[in-house]
Amino acid sequence: MTGPVSLGWLPVLDRKLLRELWRLRGPALAIALVIAAGVGMVMMSVGMMRSLEATRDAYYDRYRFADVFAPAKRVPMALLPELAHLPGVRTSEGRITMSALIDLPYVSDPINARLHSLPAKGRPHINDLVLRAGRWPDPARPDELLANEAFLKAAKLGLGDDITVILNGKRRAFRIVGAVLSPEYVYAIPPGQIFPDNARFGVLWLQEEVLAGAFDLRHAFNELLVRVDPGTNVADVIRRIDDRLQPYGGIGGYARDQQISDRFVTNELNELRNMTRILPPVFLLVAAFLTHLVLSRLIDTEREVIGLLKAFGFRNRAIIAHYLKLAILLSLGGLVLGATLGIWLGRGLARLYQQFFVFPFLQFHLDADLFLMALLAALFPVLTGCFIAIRRAAALTPAAAMSPPMPTNYGGRLTGALTQLRSLDQLTRIILRGLARRPVRTLLTAIGIGAALALYIASASSRDNVEEMIRITFNQAEREDLLVTFTEPRGRDALTALARLPGIRRVEPVRAVSVVLTHQGISRREAITATDPGADLSRLIDINGTVVEPPIQGLVLSASLARQLKVGLGSAVEVAVTQGRRPRWQSHVVAVVDSAIGSPAYMRLDELDRRMMEGPRISGAFLAIDTDARAAILKALRETPAIAGITEVEASRLALRNTIAETMGIITLFNTGFAGLIVFGVIYNHARVALAERSRDLASLRVLGFRTTEVAYLLIGELMLLTLIALPLGIAMGIGLAHYIVSAFGGDLFTIPYALSIGTMARAVLVVMTAAGATAYLVSRRLGQLDLVAVLKTRD
Amino acid sequence: MVCVVARQQGRAKTISSDAQDIDAETGDPLPPILYRVEGLTKIYGAGVSAVQALRGVDLEIRSGELIVLLGPSGSGKSTILNILGGLDEPTAGHVWFEGQDLTALDGSALTEYRRQHVGFVFQFYNLVASLTARENVALITDIADDAMMPQEALAMVGLTDRLDHFPAQMSGGEQQRVAIARAIAKRPRVLFCDEPTGALDSQTGIMVLEAIQRINRELGTTTLIITHNAVIAGIADVVWQFADGMLAQSTRNRARVAASELRW
Repeated sequence: MTGPVSLGWLPVLDRKLLRELWRLRGPALAIALVIAAGVGMVMMSVGMMRSLEATRDAYYDRYRFADVFAPAKRVPMALLPELAHLPGVRTSEGRITMSALIDLPYVSDPINARLHSLPAKGRPHINDLVLRAGRWPDPARPDELLANEAFLKAAKLGLGDDITVILNGKRRAFRIVGAVLSPEYVYAIPPGQIFPDNARFGVLWLQEEVLAGAFDLRHAFNELLVRVDPGTNVADVIRRIDDRLQPYGGIGGYARDQQISDRFVTNELNELRNMTRILPPVFLLVAAFLTHLVLSRLIDTEREVIGLLKAFGFRNRAIIAHYLKLAILLSLGGLVLGATLGIWLGRGLARLYQQFFVFPFLQFHLDADLFLMALLAALFPVLTGCFIAIRRAAALTPAAAMSPPMPTNYGGRLTGALTQLRSLDQLTRIILRGLARRPVRTLLTAIGIGAALALYIASASSRDNVEEMIRITFNQAEREDLLVTFTEPRGRDALTALARLPGIRRVEPVRAVSVVLTHQGISRREAITATDPGADLSRLIDINGTVVEPPIQGLVLSASLARQLKVGLGSAVEVAVTQGRRPRWQSHVVAVVDSAIGSPAYMRLDELDRRMMEGPRISGAFLAIDTDARAAILKALRETPAIAGITEVEASRLALRNTIAETMGIITLFNTGFAGLIVFGVIYNHARVALAERSRDLASLRVLGFRTTEVAYLLIGELMLLTLIALPLGIAMGIGLAHYIVSAFGGDLFTIPYALSIGTMARAVLVVMTAAGATAYLVSRRLGQLDLVAVLKTRD
Repeated sequence: MVCVVARQQGRAKTISSDAQDIDAETGDPLPPILYRVEGLTKIYGAGVSAVQALRGVDLEIRSGELIVLLGPSGSGKSTILNILGGLDEPTAGHVWFEGQDLTALDGSALTEYRRQHVGFVFQFYNLVASLTARENVALITDIADDAMMPQEALAMVGLTDRLDHFPAQMSGGEQQRVAIARAIAKRPRVLFCDEPTGALDSQTGIMVLEAIQRINRELGTTTLIITHNAVIAGIADVVWQFADGMLAQSTRNRARVAASELRW
């Protein structure tokens, strides 16, 4: 045994402080873990979020992502100078954008492509590209192109590979010379879909003259890109551009926030932010609450020492300062650990998400205010918790603290009732009376354990919710095998032609038209999807799994769109079609559907036909096919010039799971990890304090001949009982928190349903029981070290 | 109650046939030996900080005796009580309890020894605050094989009217008598009392000693009392004076004083 470390240079109270810290290293570690989990969670989440947003903004800025996109049919190049001088326009550029199919000899799946023209000279002024590998195409070699990196990776294509692109029905061979990233395609989402699918959708940048030649757009462009002056009202700019482009088949410009990739990025970041906005403060709150609970109980056990110090003449102020220092030092470890862990994990997570989003670089942001916030958040509960307990202890007169303490009075009504239960054994009675004597503390402890359980449940619930969203979408709503989209709207005879292909089991029509929906000055660029009544393949399903039939008249809106437009049932909405004859009409909202995924506006096909004044027209079809005939059907479809895109639902399902499930999966893993840490911290802390408070009783019982296992029952039984009380509380709080998270997430592209599964709850309960079991084991090991001799001589 | 006495008498009879144990002065037969202690040594710590608490103590305790241990702090009296009670292990030497070497037992065997044979009374009572007097006694009777009813034990210490009171509702003396009832309810072979009156005023202390004396007399429980109060030595059969880790003096009282006659 070595003597105490010499600390002669320190004031005696501080020496005591350091030795106390060493003595309390067990509880201190548990407190530190709980604080670390709370602080770490906040630092990680906020750090990651700020970094990702800063990275996105920097990326958009550095590569000059367009503020406005204005598609048209054919705009002469000569109009560009005029467009460039419109008020609010900082820079503008015209380009050709087209859809096509890619034919890879060894891939049977249909591959949709989006084609963009590269300027004849130099790099794009707007929507610049990040060259990740290879080189820019040689202007002298029209067969060279650039492709988005994600597609090349997913389709296992490399630089120098040749690919065949079906341009306007004609096959043409190209060579890939560069792999690029574009701020426009952070997510490359196939037309008509809302989820990225890199293996089946590629973005290609070809030389201007190639596209102009293939699509008859010489000296013309069909999409205007604009960057606006800072502070400009984007809507005004769009209105001016629309006016100028209308004669050239302009179908209405839209701002960046309506661009599909940006919407998706925003949606994903919102989802992440949502998870980081709701959960971490709750984590911190729970951690703070638990720390408060544990520290105040710890200080209660120091009551006698406090009396002694007062008897020696220490002033209350000095004693309070002494214990506050102890509390701060106890929590400092957690703070430092949490901050370090949080920063490290935040950086790691941000890097993970950087790869996930494929941002070309990462700007890791960690601001001083975050440190300060975490510091205050961690210290506040510690200091208040201790202050109350110390004040209570310091209020005792020294004599009261020095004389033998009066045993706690258990004569109350509540405890009296339990006395009547004759069938109880004495140890169980001790447990029950102990809990009943301090109902507030019992309840707080149970709430503490329950809160940790709730955090776990809420964290883990997001996985269930995504699974449910996928289930609703693909098992109930999208039951077709294929969706084909036509290059242009066609008559219903196209359905007959499709149905005639061998292996087609069912064909259902669909028409999607681009519209601007306006309600009281709020406009949204959306697509209206129209189907026949009684459609069986693609159906509108609300978030509860109920089928919603499109009404005879009027519009069905998704809840998120209704929220954006601030409309409710019966509201009149101005519909302005931005293609064909551009009809406009007023429609009433006849249903608002909380759908998981899907086009936000629905109506009946015959009603849309009537409004469009083009006769019966469809823009695509849903097909159910025999799996055996799949390859033949795909081949036939690909060779049909009128077909612009083919989407396989199974691929979409995989793509959806890969993207959303992955984004949320990463953060969910960390959240559940932290929640697990808190669960363990809470239970272990409680058991350690209970052991400290009970050690005298326990040692007395050991002296009286009780076996270690019997004495352990006193602690473990209490712990288990508290855990049992905590389980329903925690499950109820967890369900509430999970509901709250779902409701707080106002998704633009998809709505997450609430679908907490029994399995997740069972897992959460298992985590708590495991933590309780491990704690029981650790604590009962300590029972062997009880000082039986000391108990004969000392008092509480 | 009756059967207890019968059992004690029965044992006394068999051992009294042992012709060698005769009181040298009176010629009366002595009760059988319950504990035999040989060369008991206890050293706390090691090296320069080593403290020798016991330095080779030899002694014997006879069944049914009431022994009072006197001596200044650090004289070794608590150490020997701890070792006899199975709470501590000696550095050297042996303790035989009814022929069984306690020093050869491991922790769980010592627990069983305490559970079956030993009763403890603490200076600060050590009652479980959340149990009533009756339940504090039942705590022990529940785990003992041949225990009295809790109220029977409490009656022996004069607490029949306090059965359902919690410790907080009783005086220090009452609490200590509950502790005694708790200790003897399982009919232990031996009762160890460490400063049982140390936290009490004299009047209350005397009531507690009366209870202990009564237990010793009626149940024949071998009793060891540690005290700083030399007056208490009057109630003992044997008085041990400890000094500097050794049994300095062992005196057998000619006549025992009733606890009620003590004054301090």
